[in-house]
Amino acid sequence: MKLTTEDKLSLLAGSAKYDVSCSSSGSENNYKTGELGCAHNSGICHSFTSDGRCVSLLKVLLTNVCIYDCAYCINRVSNDTPRTAFTPRELADLTINFYKRNYIEGLFLSSGIIKNEDHTMSLLLQTLRILRHEYRFNGYIHVKLIPGASKELIEEATLLAHRVSSNIELPSSKSLALLAPDKTKEKLLSPLKHARGISLQRSAKPISMSTQMIIGATSESDFEILKLSSALYDKALLKRVYYSAYIAVNNHKYLPVPELSKPPLLREHRLYQADWLLRFYGFSYDEILSENQNLDIQFDPKTFWALSNLHLFPIDVNHAPQEILVRIPGIGIRGALKILQARRFKKLCFEDLAQLKISLKKARYFIIAGKDFHRSSSLYTEKIKLALIHQGSNIIQPTLFDTSIYTGEL
Amino acid sequence: MILLYDGSFEGFLSLVYEVYYEKLHVSSIVKKMPETLLFERFHEIFTDEAKARKVLEAITKHFTKEQQRTIFHTVLCDTREYEMALLEYIRIGFKNKKELRNINNTNLFYIQNLEKELLSLVHKMYGFTRFEELEDGTLYVKIETKFNIVPFLGEHFCKRLGNIPFIIHDVKRSLAFVKNDTLREIRSIASFVAPTFSNEEENFKVLWKSFFKAAAVESRYNPKLQQSWVPLLYRTYMSEFQV
Ligand code: SF4
Repeated sequence: MKLTTEDKLSLLAGSAKYDVSCSSSGSENNYKTGELGCAHNSGICHSFTSDGRCVSLLKVLLTNVCIYDCAYCINRVSNDTPRTAFTPRELADLTINFYKRNYIEGLFLSSGIIKNEDHTMSLLLQTLRILRHEYRFNGYIHVKLIPGASKELIEEATLLAHRVSSNIELPSSKSLALLAPDKTKEKLLSPLKHARGISLQRSAKPISMSTQMIIGATSESDFEILKLSSALYDKALLKRVYYSAYIAVNNHKYLPVPELSKPPLLREHRLYQADWLLRFYGFSYDEILSENQNLDIQFDPKTFWALSNLHLFPIDVNHAPQEILVRIPGIGIRGALKILQARRFKKLCFEDLAQLKISLKKARYFIIAGKDFHRSSSLYTEKIKLALIHQGSNIIQPTLFDTSIYTGEL
Repeated sequence: MILLYDGSFEGFLSLVYEVYYEKLHVSSIVKKMPETLLFERFHEIFTDEAKARKVLEAITKHFTKEQQRTIFHTVLCDTREYEMALLEYIRIGFKNKKELRNINNTNLFYIQNLEKELLSLVHKMYGFTRFEELEDGTLYVKIETKFNIVPFLGEHFCKRLGNIPFIIHDVKRSLAFVKNDTLREIRSIASFVAPTFSNEEENFKVLWKSFFKAAAVESRYNPKLQQSWVPLLYRTYMSEFQV
């Protein structure tokens, strides 16, 4: 049966949708007069799907044919699903036409492994070449490196794309061996290391890379997961780790049963919050969690940390430096900057903070502002916990993927 | 006293001129004559290019680039009553530039928030704008927005679209940013004839819609969240939200 472009697009976008690294932010503005496309530094969302996720890229697979059999993957060879592939030209044309109409910011291109690693990587490269050389397209391109492809191909991809990545998928080697026997952590990380080396040779700034981990398919604790992310950030190998709540698409003896398992969305949400604390708030993973612990479901990680460290509070907002201000629950980086700016002119009280649109809902229990501080609950963890919980449902049931994923304000 | 002016940028600058040189005490500023005038005195400002230019020169000399931008941005928030706050902003700026950063002043805080609101709208529309291709290859888009953001969109898409000619049509304000080989400017639109689209246009809309549908993960269905990101008012011209 011959599939139409529309059928192909539905299939290949449908198989790529579980990859969560959609963001195009953080790339250089690279506008050239008369040429098509430029990347925008702060990332632009072009739409939001009915699950509330941002659409900014044409996110597709080149093909959903795959010779491998990873247990969690919808495209594994043992699944009986319709298979198809775009030609590089088809895909390049689609990208250009979507871009022109401002549907998208650029292309996110991944692929199942067709024939072998090098063959697949060459097809991806061919698409990139048409876009960059023939159409002179400067818009954003994120391409998945194929682990096991040869260095020359990885190198060319690194030079043509804005971002390259390779998914770690599972947080430990043990789990990989169980569910993706063709992959090892070394094999998954090696294209990333290579890409970084090449991009550093060419310029002072390494190409920005990301990875994804599936959460809840296997038994690792949040502590282990954050420890791994933290190591990846410290080695400056990756700019961003994405966490993706496990969605059951297959039956497999080592995987949670599909009917029983709902994607652990709240856990994913808490991991993103903790990840923000790592990247922007100066927390280390072992401040957030202790060995083998999981993140608290009831409280966001910053509030949980503050409750466990009440001896550090209350903090005087009129005197604390920025790195201490951002550790106050409810005050994010923007809030801290507002406080720093406003207190140059006067001593701030609760009312001034409210005026600055800083939410006191959580912060009030942890701060002193001029003569104001919250007297009614003395600083006993349990009392503050109760007070926070009684404020309303949104502490206990945060709106999943609320803005804090994007803004990091906690 | 109440000041009446025509709502244009030049008009506002002329107003600033008169306030300074006639030492007027302003209680409010309106764009239209109020229906009922009680006991207040009121004074009509006539837009005067020479006066406007003088004020503009003074502003350019005295304010930083960033502050000038803030003034210009505030004027683009044309559905809000920004005049009193902006007058105050300019007055404070001429007196003591450092004070302009004092957000404990309600007027300055108001302006700062207004500017943020404008820029966040601009950012949203960078993404939510949907071009359609006309017969001759020109890209065309209609927008209806709270503030006047045509200048931002025009500049943004000049960078993006290379040599492709395009038109951004602000339906409410009857303005259009027009860009082609010879032209790159904002014009007011007197009359408008619905354009003819290219043969491929419908096809790409269909493809976009099916991509949009396929990209959603069913087990994470959350239309409320979707709506908080793309409020209904933005959806009028976004094909993926049309049935
Ligand atoms: S190699 Fe990739 S596409 Fe193939 S089965 Fe494994 S995860 Fe799926």
